[in-house]
Amino acid sequence: MHDPTENRSVLLKIFYPVVALVLVVVAWAFLVWFYEVPRYVMPSPSDVATHISEDWQTLVKGFGVTFLEFLLGFTLGAGTGFVFAVLMDMSRTVRGILYPILILSQAIPIIAISAALTIWLGFGLAPKLVIVALVVFFPVVVNVLDGLASVDKDVLNLVRSMGASKFSTFRHVKLPATYSPLFSALKLSATFSVTGAVIAEWTASTSGGIGAYLLQANSRLNTAGTFSAITFLAALGIVSFLLVVAVEYLLTPWKSGHKARRWSRSYWQE
Amino acid sequence: MEQAPKLALKGLSRTFGDLTALSSTELAVKPGEFISVVGPSGCGKSTMFNIIAGVLQPSTGKVLIDGKDVTNQSGHVGYMLQKDLLLPWRTVLDNIVLGAVLKGGASRAERDEGVALARRYGLGDFINHYPAALSGGMRQRVALMRTLAMHHDVMLLDEPFGALDSQTRLSMQQWLLSVWEKEKRTIVFVTHDIDEAIFLADRVVVMTPRPGRIHEIIDVPIERPRPVSSLTRPEFVALKQRILGTIYNNASPANEEAAPHA
Repeated sequence: MHDPTENRSVLLKIFYPVVALVLVVVAWAFLVWFYEVPRYVMPSPSDVATHISEDWQTLVKGFGVTFLEFLLGFTLGAGTGFVFAVLMDMSRTVRGILYPILILSQAIPIIAISAALTIWLGFGLAPKLVIVALVVFFPVVVNVLDGLASVDKDVLNLVRSMGASKFSTFRHVKLPATYSPLFSALKLSATFSVTGAVIAEWTASTSGGIGAYLLQANSRLNTAGTFSAITFLAALGIVSFLLVVAVEYLLTPWKSGHKARRWSRSYWQE
Repeated sequence: MEQAPKLALKGLSRTFGDLTALSSTELAVKPGEFISVVGPSGCGKSTMFNIIAGVLQPSTGKVLIDGKDVTNQSGHVGYMLQKDLLLPWRTVLDNIVLGAVLKGGASRAERDEGVALARRYGLGDFINHYPAALSGGMRQRVALMRTLAMHHDVMLLDEPFGALDSQTRLSMQQWLLSVWEKEKRTIVFVTHDIDEAIFLADRVVVMTPRPGRIHEIIDVPIERPRPVSSLTRPEFVALKQRILGTIYNNASPANEEAAPHA
């Protein structure tokens, strides 16, 4: 942050989204006021703000519940997907057998299996984690598999000529090559995973998450409540996405800078 | 009595199916010698190179280093290609010490040595940079330092400057000579560029295709150090003519396409 232009670009990065948000809210308020839309059809931003301030505690608690579902399910799905990809990369037989199963798992709509999952796994956290995991799983497998296959043959020959073992080739050459495609998959599926968590809460809504809140408000024609829930879900999606971006920033320093970071292990000092 | 060779190829050959990529080859390289290998596509340069590096099995014959049989064994020679093959997620220093890292981790001493190499050869300010921030010439220098840091007496360089523009290439050639003079390694340098082959080497190995083989080994009697002006000296031009003649009399262009493994 010694470079003043860098400071400016960081400010701009925050400035533009804020402007965009303000524009959306202003347009929303204006349209509701101008067309005199009744409150039960479409609440104004101020109605939603009032509702949020009145029901603040329940909403924040719901946010926490849904966020936990996302976080655990997302990690579970990404982790399993990663292991699957590595196994499939190691053996052609494994790849041949797993690939059709993977595609089949994607062909079934999530909403269709969520009811069955509730029957099998109950009304607790488990079915939600599975659904969120299913959303992330497939993109992670496909992208990580691509990353593993994209390693240059000449690099593999080079490290072999250097006397590298299979394990150290995997650790130092193949594994790091998966980071970029892995994070592309995670960024794409972060917001979808939140949708997955909401769908899961709709089928088995005893957890008190935002999805369950939304369903209740909707059934009571409480549009201000519905839109409060939507606001929190949007925030949840953005937080999830930013979380992935932050982890990516920490794990792939070569993509965001010219030099190793001063506090990192690979930074060399006298 | 001849000096015992550092690197010796004894009856080395390789076939791919019906195709003889390299027919029985003998070569002896003296310690500290700089050998260039030139020849058209399909002459077996890269096949020979990969066999010496231990990443390709010969059909017959042996590779000896200091008289020891190292056929089919990798890890005995330094190895560098036209592509720098730097790992983008490792800093310059971490790429230089890659050899040690792959064998279980670079010690403090090995890292210090990597830093010393980078400083000695003009990359001292880029130790903590990632390869993406470097120019093509700088990246090739890092690749060579990675090769040097592995402490092999024999280094195989396969068209290391092939992808660089001609000016960068010329300065890299001079830089390589200065490194070679300081480090006293034995170098086998594969290239398409006949000027480059003569300018760098003590001896030029001329290879010809169908079947791939060593056609002739030519001494380069130009004294060192060699300034850029030696590129235009009459001995240099005469050598170049001789090598060009050998290559073009033996490679009929009609067969050029058939080479599967150049």
